[in-house]
Amino acid sequence: MIAAQGIIGGLVERFGAGTVVLQSTVDGVPTAWVPAAQVRDALKWLKSIEGGSHAMLLDLTAIDERSRTHREGQPPADFTVVYHLVSLDKNSDFRVKVALLGEYPSLRTIRDIWPNADWYEREVWDMFGIVFDGHPHLKRILLPPWWEGHPLRKEYPARATEMGPYKMTSEDAQKMLATLEFSPEEWGLKREDGDRQFMFLNMGPQHPATHGVVRLTVQLDGEEIMEVIPEIGFHHRGAEKMGERQTWHTYIPYTDRIDYLGGLLNNFPYVLAVEKLAGITVPERAQVIRIMMAELFRVISHLVFLGTFTGDIGMMSPVFYMFNDREKGFDIVEAVTGGRMHPAWFRIGGVAADLPQGWDTLVRDFIKRMRKNIRDYVNAVAKNRIVKARTIGIGTISAREAIEWGGTGPFLRGSGVDWDLRKKRPYGGYDKFEFDVPVGVHGDSYDRMLVHFEEMRQSLRIMEQCLNNMPAGDYKSDHPLATPPRKERTMHDIETLITHFLGVSWGPVIPPGEAIHVAEGSKGNHAYYLVSDGGTMSYRTRIRTPSFAHTQIVPLLSRGLTIADLVAILGSIDYVLADIDR
Amino acid sequence: MLGRKARKSVFDPNHPLTSGEDVYLARRTDLIAWGRKYSMWPFNFGLSCCYVEMATAITSRFDIARFGSEIIRGSPREADVMVVAGTVFRKMAPLVLHMYEQMMMPRWVLCMGSCAGSGGMYDIYSVVQGVDSFLPVDVYVQGCPPSPDAFMRGLVLLGEAVSTEQRPLSWVVGPQGIVRRVKPSLRDEMRPERQKATDLKSPDGI
Repeated sequence: MIAAQGIIGGLVERFGAGTVVLQSTVDGVPTAWVPAAQVRDALKWLKSIEGGSHAMLLDLTAIDERSRTHREGQPPADFTVVYHLVSLDKNSDFRVKVALLGEYPSLRTIRDIWPNADWYEREVWDMFGIVFDGHPHLKRILLPPWWEGHPLRKEYPARATEMGPYKMTSEDAQKMLATLEFSPEEWGLKREDGDRQFMFLNMGPQHPATHGVVRLTVQLDGEEIMEVIPEIGFHHRGAEKMGERQTWHTYIPYTDRIDYLGGLLNNFPYVLAVEKLAGITVPERAQVIRIMMAELFRVISHLVFLGTFTGDIGMMSPVFYMFNDREKGFDIVEAVTGGRMHPAWFRIGGVAADLPQGWDTLVRDFIKRMRKNIRDYVNAVAKNRIVKARTIGIGTISAREAIEWGGTGPFLRGSGVDWDLRKKRPYGGYDKFEFDVPVGVHGDSYDRMLVHFEEMRQSLRIMEQCLNNMPAGDYKSDHPLATPPRKERTMHDIETLITHFLGVSWGPVIPPGEAIHVAEGSKGNHAYYLVSDGGTMSYRTRIRTPSFAHTQIVPLLSRGLTIADLVAILGSIDYVLADIDR
Repeated sequence: MLGRKARKSVFDPNHPLTSGEDVYLARRTDLIAWGRKYSMWPFNFGLSCCYVEMATAITSRFDIARFGSEIIRGSPREADVMVVAGTVFRKMAPLVLHMYEQMMMPRWVLCMGSCAGSGGMYDIYSVVQGVDSFLPVDVYVQGCPPSPDAFMRGLVLLGEAVSTEQRPLSWVVGPQGIVRRVKPSLRDEMRPERQKATDLKSPDGI
């Protein structure tokens, strides 16, 4: 925090005490409001003092402030653009906010300072209608080109059922498809260069190698990839808008479906952010249960990654073995939570229920089975000559570039950066566990795969510690905002009964404030940035997802390689469509 | 040609004509419908979470090959059944219809999951509230996502419906038009059975 005070002091000194406004937030992230005219200078300066290349733009988003009531001490604004910076050297965060006035305000782009601002600024334009001057491709990113309006503005209706019944004929479909036609000129790409003619190959949105609905247009010179233009948004489910209409409690199932292979790993950052806002401390048993289930889901998610990745590069059998192990993992999930992929089992202040009798046998058997099987997989997959030939040196990214582009998780660790939030900023009780953070060396597809293998071993290690040291006690906090409230005390006095009734029917009223929680998901850093206006619903829910950041790096990874390499690169990134488009 | 009795069970091993012999007799339409039932090739097409459970049905524990559907086709032109597995997004909807139209007749649609059926929990601006607003759906499988077992049950139901379908042999021979049985409501059919349940398992045990 001392470092943060120094930064704020420096900002005030450079830009004047009258222009920089400080804001205190519940999450303790130092937050400074900077005038729109000076934001580029401020961000450049922050990047330089934060260790140059070790400063990451974790997130860039906006808030529609026009109907917010609790804005004490903040400069007047219709819209706020929020930049969330992370210094990997100092292990600290910094938040810069810019107040904008007007219906459709504008701001200068920072794409030249951080290259990954490109997609984030397009997203803010698409969702809020805030224009970024100087951005070369400021067009819709999540919504289709024929869309009208900007959904995250407060006046925009959320429900599809408010929009009238959906009608589409074949002719309508063909008209809409025509607008998706790729035009190289729009992206500044040449069709030919001298006597060389380039080919434009369309991959997706329906393609077996893209793992879902994403579209890549590849510019090819012979077999060599010159440029890749990813198009996303085919999987946009409006999860952020949904947060503004679901109660704090009933939003939990929507978080499961963000990284849909990660299940409970998604609940983690959300409930932790709400607990920060509400000031809830979670009992020890609930913490250990949460960690055990989260690590189980990390193993399950990594198994799908390894199965599909090896399938992509032509190895057909591992996926069958790995999905079998995944089923063994789901046996535990089903016994504990009753669900499979989307259990929605974490609660504000704890978990939904205590562990069932006999859970320990299931977990013990799973750990034993997986330890043996991972050994086999490493022998069969990681040591396979063909796998090595297909992945070593393919899709290489240096540590500096990975940080510049906002890479996190196994992607960043594959490039040799020791950055795991469970270790660096132990949250939810991770400080009590012993585990190692595996890192790669070369930053290629092969190293990313090895990191995944080793992470499964480490997750099993954490699960074993949970198994052997499961504390006794409550699985849910006694805090009045823990939801649903504890039932057993409601019959003793009317006050508790009323609180319980309100907590169950309307949901908890979370005190006004802002909090972010960044957690280590299976694919990278997941963050929920929640703004409460003192109601039963969130005022703004921002979900920062790793796959969005990583998909943006695909062109950088694949230039100069071939289509077959592109398939290996896509597999090695470990992205999930709902995690890109939300 | 056999009479009405044989139609009920096309390959009845106890039939006086066929027992002990490697000879089977059937009506041609029945034989084709029977063949279709056991070779429903799904289109390798997924939209979101449900697709993962659909893919899980192909792997060893569930093994969709038992029902003749393990041949996943990458091209709509080679596929018989389109499994709409996941949320139908407004940006994706024209592509879904385009791919359906590329499928060869006869073709069927299995609607997998709550999102595809009705929008499910996503009553939100970017989601079509039910794929049946622009595609003819043959079987709905509910769940979010449905387990692989539920998906396979849907496929078996579709197979049963296909095996009783009457289709013209060509556009010049015989009666034209497709005769389909009325889609039953399984909720109504299974209600008496379900109401018999009196003991529910406690969540305290595994």
